[in-house]
Amino acid sequence: MSAFGVRAGVRVNISGMMPGILPLLPPGWKVSHRVIVERLYSLVAGDGCERHGMRRLHVLYANSMRVARDTSLNLVLEALETDLQRYTAEATPQMTFLHAGVVGWQGRAIVIPGHSLSGKTTLVREMLRLGATYYSDEFGVIDDSGLVHPFVRPLGIREDPSYAQTKYTAKSLGAASGIKPLPMGMAVICKYEAGAQWQPAPLSRGQGALELLANSVAVRSQPHQTLRRLQKLVTHAVFIKGTRGEAREAAASILNQPCPDKGLETA
Amino acid sequence: MKERQLPRARVDCISREFGDEVLVYDLQQDVGHCLNWTAAATWRLCDGNSSPSQIAGTLSRQLSVQVDESVVLLALDQLADAHLLVEPEVLPGRPSRRVAIRRMGIAAAIALPLVTSIVAPTPAQAASCLHGGSPCTSNAQCCSNVCDLLVTHRCVLG
Repeated sequence: MSAFGVRAGVRVNISGMMPGILPLLPPGWKVSHRVIVERLYSLVAGDGCERHGMRRLHVLYANSMRVARDTSLNLVLEALETDLQRYTAEATPQMTFLHAGVVGWQGRAIVIPGHSLSGKTTLVREMLRLGATYYSDEFGVIDDSGLVHPFVRPLGIREDPSYAQTKYTAKSLGAASGIKPLPMGMAVICKYEAGAQWQPAPLSRGQGALELLANSVAVRSQPHQTLRRLQKLVTHAVFIKGTRGEAREAAASILNQPCPDKGLETA
Repeated sequence: MKERQLPRARVDCISREFGDEVLVYDLQQDVGHCLNWTAAATWRLCDGNSSPSQIAGTLSRQLSVQVDESVVLLALDQLADAHLLVEPEVLPGRPSRRVAIRRMGIAAAIALPLVTSIVAPTPAQAASCLHGGSPCTSNAQCCSNVCDLLVTHRCVLG
């Protein structure tokens, strides 16, 4: 398969498994007919024979490196999905991947960069409830023109303290998914704190770009491309930063912010 | 002694303008810096041939206002801390931020120099982590930052 210019292959040792793997491939993937790939995943599934005293293990390799080994096939498949997305984000020469949630709103992208457990997906879900269009809960994908592309995958919502995620499609939440790339209208840098009031402060364009840089997947390996695309990305965007409490309050406030075309300038 | 009197900006960094500010990426240390206008203007004038007082003079002409040398020294101090100068050393007469503000006066025409820095993330840091119970091969993969590498090879609950 090929996605964002990255070629990867998946092979399994049991026939009939492949249809279950296709939904795990990165959004927008296409069949590649080239024999040579940059990364080859090998899923060695347990044979189903339970022998006394032996565990039935499923093992996943990426090239020669073992990525996961477990008795649960679902968990190993989840590892495949995560690793393949991460590799694509890191290796693609065509796009810059930001670790961020993204929604479309009034023809602009609202980008919410942040590390894991910063509450991106929760905020995205609340914005979808308020009518925003779903673009991603994991990656903002930036092209050479600075436009934000959709990376639509089921939202992984953590509903309990074990970090376990439940998957929801945007459609099941009543939201539409984005198709067209959008210019970024706003970036929201926030963290969650129970009981906090959402009172964001404007951030300068440079400071905002630095926050995006801190969430750029491939900045170490592709610094020139990353900075060039970030420069294009932030051209007409505003940045706000703050601590949020409940996502619903913050989501409503963010969507009510005037867009840059209506006079809100960066600080 | 020569270096601190005639500061020179490192050239092995990538820089891009973002409005009045400049983002600088240090390729050697994988650190990003945001320089506000004053810091960026000072950095650009660090050609290895100009002293802090000469840089202050150039800035004064560019802005048509008096820029005190202490402002330049403060900027150089921050640029040196960020390793954006060649062989940075402790600057003579290192001014405090308070002194610089006092010398600039209340109605200063330019902002105090400011350099903000972040360490660039590794790809694993800039991607969602694995939840408790997920198979893992290294601590960095897990939200809890703990992968049980001895027995279960799964992320430990946080």
